[in-house]
Amino acid sequence: DTSLVSSYSEEFTVKVGYSAVALNHIVDFKEKKQEIAKPVSPSELFPSLPIVQGTSKRLKVLTRLTLVVSDPSHCNLLRSTSTNIRLYDIIAVFPKTEKLFHIACTTLDVDLVCINVTEKLPFYFRRPPVNMAIDRGIYFELLYTPAIKDSTMRRYTISNAISLMQICKGKNIVISSAAERPLELRGPYDVANLGLLFGLSEGEAKAAVSTNCRATILHGETRKSACGVVYTVKKLHKIEEEETVPACKKAKTQA
Amino acid sequence: MSAPLRRLQQAPRHLLVCEKGHARHARSRHEAHVRDHAYNCRVSVLIPECGMLPQVLKSAVADLGEYYVVRGLPVHQLLDLEFIECFVRKGSCYALAYNTRIDQDNTAALLPTGKLILSVDKDTYEELGLQGHPSRYSGKKPMRYIITIDLTDSNFHPDGKKHKRVLWALKEKKPLEFDFLLAWYNSGAEGSTLMSYFPKNQIQALKPKVTFSTLRDLQCPVLQSNELEGKPEESCSTEELFEWLGAVLNQVNLDNVSSSFLSTYCCPQPNTVVDQAFLCTITGFIIPEKIIQLLEQLCCYFSEPKLAQWLTLTVHGFADSPVSWRENEHGFHKGGENLYNFVIFRNLDYWLQMALGTNDDCPP
Repeated sequence: DTSLVSSYSEEFTVKVGYSAVALNHIVDFKEKKQEIAKPVSPSELFPSLPIVQGTSKRLKVLTRLTLVVSDPSHCNLLRSTSTNIRLYDIIAVFPKTEKLFHIACTTLDVDLVCINVTEKLPFYFRRPPVNMAIDRGIYFELLYTPAIKDSTMRRYTISNAISLMQICKGKNIVISSAAERPLELRGPYDVANLGLLFGLSEGEAKAAVSTNCRATILHGETRKSACGVVYTVKKLHKIEEEETVPACKKAKTQA
Repeated sequence: MSAPLRRLQQAPRHLLVCEKGHARHARSRHEAHVRDHAYNCRVSVLIPECGMLPQVLKSAVADLGEYYVVRGLPVHQLLDLEFIECFVRKGSCYALAYNTRIDQDNTAALLPTGKLILSVDKDTYEELGLQGHPSRYSGKKPMRYIITIDLTDSNFHPDGKKHKRVLWALKEKKPLEFDFLLAWYNSGAEGSTLMSYFPKNQIQALKPKVTFSTLRDLQCPVLQSNELEGKPEESCSTEELFEWLGAVLNQVNLDNVSSSFLSTYCCPQPNTVVDQAFLCTITGFIIPEKIIQLLEQLCCYFSEPKLAQWLTLTVHGFADSPVSWRENEHGFHKGGENLYNFVIFRNLDYWLQMALGTNDDCPP
């Protein structure tokens, strides 16, 4: 029945005006023995993708994984290279404590850091990890569907968003829905208007639903494809011998 | 904390330019303005105190010509020498990519001056390899580029390096293909038509759709042709007229009934109530030459005495067109309006209002 719900939602997303959609799988580490399954390929769920309204292109469907982390040991999964994580297009992490937020922004290999909008933030944002995340090309994600559902969550959404804006000055923000039903979706220009409420300027708000999302997808692609750089150096006195020196991290991704 | 609240009270940037003139004046620029706005998708004529289609308009509305839809046309076919000789150099050829969004996808347009404008996103620009400049509305990191190719340039002939490079880019490097809306105007000898140039299965000829309606008991603002700003208690200003006209053309109720939550808009004061008003709407790919003919006929409407003090002609441009007036770049922020409105008075004075959205330049 997930496929039925999803296919109904896809028809609605193209009518509302989106041209790319990411299907999210949430993994919460509080429960024991959580295994990350392989992502369901979009072609299995939707044999024929609908055409986006107003254009002649088809809807682009991506897969995405959200890890809810409340303990540093949960992050080990991201470091290992032989799991199904690599198969997802976008990886997001939802840190629950300040230390984990710092780790997510500075060292973890993810594309998005989710900001809690359903309750009062247990920690304050500080400038150093936020600036490091911006340099690394990581985007902060805000959800708007909780704001539609409940008025208390609406207050928390706006207050958390505004406190984030004060630190990051509107850069690297992505606004997305966590819609489980078609009725919870809103059109892209309406969501950009919501961004104005969070304190973004007109251009930043539109970017939060368009160019920043494209940058996140590209970040995910580079994360999947680039593992490291290998370069060879010829030693001066031994001409035949060649030495390989593995380089450290991949270069900064530029959106 | 007050910055977001302040921003909410401001509308996105928009521009309304108002001009006054006389239709029969030697230096009147009304025809020039119409000619500069190449791509028009809707023309609306509102005549107060008129119940049915006036005689002067009958022939103009019947003679609107045809426009063509060509599906899956690769852009490099517009560079064919035959096409340029037959259509671009003789008469005015208009082409606009259809079903593309200017803020997301690639778009192409061919102006009657012979310039081919490609508005492409960053990835396509880097793959295409043609010289262009970043869009003015793109922010610090340009995400959109505009490439202009002059097809009537003397250097642009099949043996030249320029032509070869452009053809190679559009044919082999990154083939671009769109559904195009095409129209061709040729005053003078008949040559081959667009219908015969393209293969039959690709091209389809369409006529602009015309609808008529009569509005009853309409509140119309009182206007004086020499008072653009309006005088309190005597006439309304151009901005008030513009808003009122938008409300009427969108069928917004002007009553301001207390039970209605949709709109609290009222007709500006001073106003009169007219028994009937005639509204004619033409939708399609309409070329400026036809609009000039329509304008001429509307000026002839007042050659006989009529009850109406003024009438309006509103022309809307395509929201996803890459250019607005001449070669000014047009963008889509949250709305892609680029329209102009003529108000023609009994004495053949006219007001011209040109309106643009957020990502647009001031019209000439």
